[in-house]
Amino acid sequence: MDHKRITILLAVIWAIVALLPLFFGGTNFIMHILIMCLIWSVVASCWDLIMGFAGIFSFGQVAFFVMGSYASAIISGQFGIPPIFAVFIAGGITAAIGILVGLPCLKLKGAYIALVTFAVHMILEPVLKGDIGRAIGTGGTRGLLTIEPMTIFGYTFTTASPVPYFYLFFLVAVVCSVIILVVIKSHWGTAFLALKDSQEFAICLGVSAFKYKLMVFALTSFLTGMMGGFYAHYVGMLSTRMLGIDLFVTLMVILVIGGVGKFPGAVIGAFITIVVNELLSPLGPYRPITMGAMVVVLVLLLPDGIVGLFERLFSKNKHSITH
Amino acid sequence: MIFEIADVIISGLINGSVYALMAVGLTLIYGVSKAFNFAYGSFYSLGGYIAFLLFGLSFINNYFLVFLLAVPILLVFGYFVEKALVAPLRKRDDWEIKVMMITLGLALFLDNSFQVIFGSRMKSLPPFLEGSFEAGDFYLSHQDVGIFFLSIGGILMFRWFLNNTRTGMSVRAVAQNPAGAQIVGIPKEFVFAATFAISTVMVGMGGILLAQKYFITPMGGWDILVKAWVITAFGGMGSIRGGLYAAFIVGMLESFVGWYFGMTWTLIVLFAVLLTTLAVRPQGLMGKWG
Repeated sequence: MDHKRITILLAVIWAIVALLPLFFGGTNFIMHILIMCLIWSVVASCWDLIMGFAGIFSFGQVAFFVMGSYASAIISGQFGIPPIFAVFIAGGITAAIGILVGLPCLKLKGAYIALVTFAVHMILEPVLKGDIGRAIGTGGTRGLLTIEPMTIFGYTFTTASPVPYFYLFFLVAVVCSVIILVVIKSHWGTAFLALKDSQEFAICLGVSAFKYKLMVFALTSFLTGMMGGFYAHYVGMLSTRMLGIDLFVTLMVILVIGGVGKFPGAVIGAFITIVVNELLSPLGPYRPITMGAMVVVLVLLLPDGIVGLFERLFSKNKHSITH
Repeated sequence: MIFEIADVIISGLINGSVYALMAVGLTLIYGVSKAFNFAYGSFYSLGGYIAFLLFGLSFINNYFLVFLLAVPILLVFGYFVEKALVAPLRKRDDWEIKVMMITLGLALFLDNSFQVIFGSRMKSLPPFLEGSFEAGDFYLSHQDVGIFFLSIGGILMFRWFLNNTRTGMSVRAVAQNPAGAQIVGIPKEFVFAATFAISTVMVGMGGILLAQKYFITPMGGWDILVKAWVITAFGGMGSIRGGLYAAFIVGMLESFVGWYFGMTWTLIVLFAVLLTTLAVRPQGLMGKWG
């Protein structure tokens, strides 16, 4: 998809989303789901940027999200820093960890990178629950139960009136998606694609794999960690349960539905997946089974996701060079 | 003290031997078809549950019959999973990530199906050998010895299969050069499906063997997937010999760290060692790029 189409599609999506509180503003439960959609749309877009565009099989996105949420909660709780600043500091911390994780990945390929990043995810739970975690104030197995609510210029957001919260998250999500769009459009995006297609050739042409790969790690983990911080202040409590496999798979479903490497796809996928996930909740224990079966069927039938489907429909009349 | 250390070494050897069986299966699929199977851990649980179901049948009372029936079931299951889910994706450019996604979906599906069918309570299998060797404080159960020799036997049988049978040789040919193998008339698609089926059998057998010592739980496979993955990366993806060495190193490391520092540290130390190894040797102990 060309950049113009991405921009238009993104503008249409955000325009529709901005109007949603007019219809659902009265129902707190629906607003909560919409806020979750906004949060996961950012996390999934970041994952799409690193995996779909840069071609790095990073599986640590949920770990970065959890790191950011814990970091922000601890910073605001223990040092008295206002949450609005704490989330950015948390993003910075996560970005630093992201670069640290990215360094060994520079020398690795494919499934090895997936392993190293997934290792971060696997280690995080024992670390947060164990002695190291308790020392920095993660609350061990109990988790953090009282996290300060978000406050901006003396106005305190509460979950009781979710519409302002919704627009806060909406603003953050729009800014994040614009950042990702700008990155994809700029020469950085081209460099990512070049490195993904043929790293050796790209390096020969003078594209620095070192710089761009670390940059994509830093950027995606910054945005993910920051979103984690916002999430922590929104829900007000944290536990390591987020590191379970469910959330990880939900993110994966978002990417499958939206399409890997089809940027605004992750945003559309987030809204569809989170809403469908909620609609399936009466199924109880059969919900994860249905989700699993859905992933399998969708990967087979809709390999490029919804955006890929659109592309196929629209490019029928023109000469397609991609297929 | 000396007996304690002997215990630790023995448990490391036994776990190492079963890990070897399972890691060789994972490295085999990666080496031959470059596909990474996220549902590998679920296949481990599947093996355990199949054995559990078979023991529920009235005419089955020993492990010989269980293996006799479980191996073909796993073989057919693995073959059809490859044919139905992995093979259709292979012609795409980005099939590697698609295979990871589809197998992750399969893992979620299988794990939660186990949960619904068998409940989340732990299931156990009867020990397949009773009794133990004892000498003073020293204790070694027959079951452990049996598990050790069965796993080693499984690996040796697999080695014999790779070196001496026609299918095994075609598997090696495809691993070395898929295009070349196809030119000389080796059915590549069949070999991919066959290796997937064989690896399913190996991890399923690992599940049956370890389920006697530990338990079968619906989510228990994730731990195994991570361990098998660490071992394959540590030994070098696609290198069977490297996988063998790495499996025993990891088994030993795990039991020594668990004994000395406590079980919560095993995963952390394991990943620390893995990261250090990969930082020095990105291709693992014996792996080759490409």
